[in-house]
Amino acid sequence: MNVLFRRTGAAAVAAASLLTASCGSEEPEAAAPSGGGARGAPALRIAVVPKGTTHDFWKSVHAGAERAAQGYEGVEVTFTGPEREDDRAQQVALVENLISSRYDAIVIAPLDDQALVAPVRLATQAGIPVVVIDSGLDAEVGKDYISFIATDNELGGRLAGDRMVERLGGQGRVLLLRYQEGSASTALREKGFVDAVAAAPGIELVDPGRYAGATRATAQEAAENLLGTYDQLDGVFCPNESSTFGMLLALRARGLAGNVTFIGFDASDGLVEALGAGEIDALVVQNPIKMGELGVKAAVEHIRGTTPEPRIDTGVMLVTRENMDTPAAEELIAPDFSSLGGP
Amino acid sequence: MSPPAPDHVHAKRRRFVARAAAAVRPFVALLVVVFVFFAIQWHRSGYTTDAHTLGAMVTVMDLRMVAIQTVIVGAAAIGMTLVIASGGLDLSVGSAVALCSVVAAVAVREGWPVWAAGAGAVLAGGACGLYNGLLITTLRLPPFIVTLGTLGLFRGVAKWMAGSVPVSAHPGWLGELVRPIPAPRWLVVAPGVWLMLGLALLMAGVIRRTVFGRHAIAIGSNESAARYAGINLAERKTLVYLAAGLFVGLAGVLQFGRLTQGDPTVAVGLELDVIAAVVIGGASLTGGKGSVLGSLVGAFMMAYMKNRCVRLGWPTFVQEMIVGHIIIAAVAVDMWRQRRAQAR
Repeated sequence: MNVLFRRTGAAAVAAASLLTASCGSEEPEAAAPSGGGARGAPALRIAVVPKGTTHDFWKSVHAGAERAAQGYEGVEVTFTGPEREDDRAQQVALVENLISSRYDAIVIAPLDDQALVAPVRLATQAGIPVVVIDSGLDAEVGKDYISFIATDNELGGRLAGDRMVERLGGQGRVLLLRYQEGSASTALREKGFVDAVAAAPGIELVDPGRYAGATRATAQEAAENLLGTYDQLDGVFCPNESSTFGMLLALRARGLAGNVTFIGFDASDGLVEALGAGEIDALVVQNPIKMGELGVKAAVEHIRGTTPEPRIDTGVMLVTRENMDTPAAEELIAPDFSSLGGP
Repeated sequence: MSPPAPDHVHAKRRRFVARAAAAVRPFVALLVVVFVFFAIQWHRSGYTTDAHTLGAMVTVMDLRMVAIQTVIVGAAAIGMTLVIASGGLDLSVGSAVALCSVVAAVAVREGWPVWAAGAGAVLAGGACGLYNGLLITTLRLPPFIVTLGTLGLFRGVAKWMAGSVPVSAHPGWLGELVRPIPAPRWLVVAPGVWLMLGLALLMAGVIRRTVFGRHAIAIGSNESAARYAGINLAERKTLVYLAAGLFVGLAGVLQFGRLTQGDPTVAVGLELDVIAAVVIGGASLTGGKGSVLGSLVGAFMMAYMKNRCVRLGWPTFVQEMIVGHIIIAAVAVDMWRQRRAQAR
C-alpha cells in the first residue's frame, strides 16, 4: 500500500509538474509522526540508505528490511539511496535530509568510511540512532553509531582465495580486479583473497592494483583492458557484484568464460546463470537479506530500550556448481522478494 | 492634479518596473514551489489546523540542510552567471570542482596550513578558468566545445593528482565552515552559506556597477556591437572565465570541507545543476542577461525539492523529473514575456 502510494504520488507529480496539490494518496496519512502530537501507536519511521539503487544486492537488503518491519507493529521502512555507488556527496545530502525530516532511525551502508562520518555523527547528535550495515565507518561504535552489521568480508575473501589455490593446484597466473578505493568492505575481501593466495608460492598475482569502478559498465571496460593486456591467465577474482559481472562480460567477449577459474563475489540472476553454465567457478555469497533485516531490528530494539550487539556477523558462503541447488545456497542466490510487494 | 510627466520619465519608470519584476520572478517561483510542497504535506496530514503539526512541516533544521546543500552549486553558480550573461558557457565546472577539492586535500595532507590549502584550491580554480578563457579566445572556438574538452581534462588531472583514489585529510576550520549546524547557533545556517551570500552580493555589484561587469553584459547582448564599441573582447572574456574559475575553486574547497576528502570522482554532472540554477534564476543562455541572486534562488529551489522529496518519502528520481520541468517552465515564461514585450 505504502509503496503503491509512493509510486502513484511520484507519477502524479511528474505528470502535473507541480501544478496541483491534489496529487497523492486517496486517503490522508492520519497526522504523520508529528512529534509530541497524538498518543497511541505512533509509527516508527526507519530510513534504510543503501550505497546505490541499481544493484540486486540492495534489493535484497530492502526485502530484508521490509520483512523486519512487518514483524513489528507500526514500523515503517523508507528505502532511499544515491543512484551511483560513487556519489558520496549525494549520500551525505541524503542523510542530512533524513535528519531534518526527523526519521526515527537510519540504517546506512556508508559509501565511504571517511566521508560519511560527519553526517552520521550529526544524526546521532540530533538524537537519531544510526545502524551501520555492509561497510565500515571510521567512527566509534556505541558512541557515533549503535551497531555494525555486516559480512565478515575478510573471511569471504579468504574463502575465495583458498578455493582458487585448490582449483589451480597451487600454480598459475591470477588476475585480481579490485572494486573501488575507499570502499572498506571490498578492500577487506581483496585483502583476504591476497593473503590466502600468498600461502601458495606458485600463484602469481597479475597487476593487482587495478580498480573496476562503480558500475558494471566501468568494470567491463577495466576488465576488457586488462584481458587485452595480459593473456595466459589461469584464474580471476572480483570482489563484488558489479565487478564480477563486468568481468564476466569481458571474459565472454574474449571467449575466455569457462576456460579460466573465475571466482566472483555476491549473486545476481546473471551471475547465478553463469555459475550454472560453468562460466563462473564459484561465488562467495553474503546474506544481504539478513543484513537489512537485522539492521532494522537493531534500530527498533535500540529505540525500545535494549542495546543491540555492537558487531553482528551475517555470514558468508562459497556457492559452487555442485552445491548451488542445496536449500542453504538457494536461499542466498535466489532470494525471496515477496516482502517488497509489487512486481 | 499633477502635470503629466514627460515621456522619458515614463520610459524610465517602465524600465525600472520591468527590471524589478525580472528580479522578483525567481523568488516568486521559489514561493510557488514552497507553497505546493507545503500543500501536499498539509493534504497528507488531513488538513490539520494544529499549530504544532503545521510548524513541524518545515523546520529550521530543514532550512539548515537545504542551505548547506546549496553552497557548492551556489558558489559555482555565482561564477556561471557571469559566464552565461557574457554569452559564454562552462561545462567543465563539475570536473574543476573535483580537481580543486583534490588540490585542497592534497595540500592539507602535505602539511600546508588550512588557509593556504584553501587559497591554493581557489587559485587552482582560477587557473582552470584562465585556461578555458585562453583556449576560447586564442583558438576562437565556441565555449561549449572548449569546456567540453576541459571537462575531461580537469577530471583526468584530478584523478592523476589524487592517484585515482579519494584523498582523506582533516579539513580543520574548512569543515566548520560547512557544518550544517553552525557552532555559534545564532548564525542559524553554516558560515559557508553566509560567505556565499556575501560573495553573491559582491558579484551582483560587480556585474551591475563596474565597467568590467557592463562590458561582460554588453558582449553577451551583442558581441559585434561590443567589438565596434571598442571593447577588448579577448581580454574581457578571458577575465570572465578567470573570475568564474575562482568561484569554482571556492566550490571545490567547500566540497572538500563537506566530504573531508578530495574525491576525484565527485561532482559528476554538477555543471548541469549549476546551469539549471542560473537559468531558473532568470539568465538567458543566449547571453546579455543574468541575476546572481536569482541563480542562488535557483540552487536553493533544487536543494529544497530534494529535501522535500525525502520528507515525503519520494525517491530521488521524482525530484529530477520535477526539476526538468521547472527549467523548461522558467525559460518558457521568460520567452513568453519577451515576445509580449516586443509585440507591444
